[in-house]
Amino acid sequence: MAKAFKYGLKGITGFLEPAERDLLRSLFDDVISMLEPEERPNQDPLAALVGLDSEAREPSDRALRRLLPNVMKDDDEASLEFRRYTERSLRESKIGALKAAALGLDKDELVLTPADARHWSTALNDVRLVLAERLDIRDDADAEHVHRMQDWSQAEDVESYLALVYNFTTWLQESLVQAMLASLEA
Amino acid sequence: MTLSVALGPDTQESTQTGTAASTDVLTAPDIPWNLVIWNDPVNLMSYVSYVFRSYFGYSEAKANKLMLEVHKKGRSIVAHGSKEQVEQHAVAMHGYGLWATVEKATGGQGGGTGSGKGKRG
Repeated sequence: MAKAFKYGLKGITGFLEPAERDLLRSLFDDVISMLEPEERPNQDPLAALVGLDSEAREPSDRALRRLLPNVMKDDDEASLEFRRYTERSLRESKIGALKAAALGLDKDELVLTPADARHWSTALNDVRLVLAERLDIRDDADAEHVHRMQDWSQAEDVESYLALVYNFTTWLQESLVQAMLASLEA
Repeated sequence: MTLSVALGPDTQESTQTGTAASTDVLTAPDIPWNLVIWNDPVNLMSYVSYVFRSYFGYSEAKANKLMLEVHKKGRSIVAHGSKEQVEQHAVAMHGYGLWATVEKATGGQGGGTGSGKGKRG
């Protein structure tokens, strides 16, 4: 079983079983592949280099839309223009955090630097946002319903399995954030 | 409409592509904008509070107050500034996975272009 992250003399430490590390690695990889910007044949390489994407548009996938939301609530046009200037670098910074977290999964004893912890916390958060969309978590009641699913022996379909995975990542992120808050006090 | 670009810190001043012909839209830096954080059922309360403390440098008390406002009221204005500033904050919040938008601080309607006083004709 995984051990909760905690803050101590060595910094933020945690422990994960091999199966848990495999699970997290595949979750991180899934979100990375969702976020990889599509390469277009007629793309201006210089524009891409500075992060411009004149053809960016609001994602049709709900989970991706939650990761890359509009910057204005009631102005799709201005949001789209902003997206064209910012979305590519946002995707890249998210991918960077997910990759950094995945790289740390090569051993079961985890010792996180402050930068590692930041990458882990945003990576876990992005994974949870995607899982929550797949589980149709729309409000606190939905979240509570999913949260009640705690028994791995009862995972008989995709949804209950996803719910268990969601609860595991929630527990892991909560323990990490508590450790990070403790490190702020130190 | 002018657009600020929140690129990395080492790419400043590389963003003036295209000439903005329509500069009559008021986006002067002295018009205040708000950064709004919206509630969602996924983000942990502890995490939201941590982000407010570490990114904005808010005290624990202030971060928790804003976090609870998001949770209970559905949204909270967590920062003010020029359009460019709050847009930069919004991108940072999206980086953390928080649901952030920007809006003009002047809550009323109108504003912007037409400044006509009194109807003619």
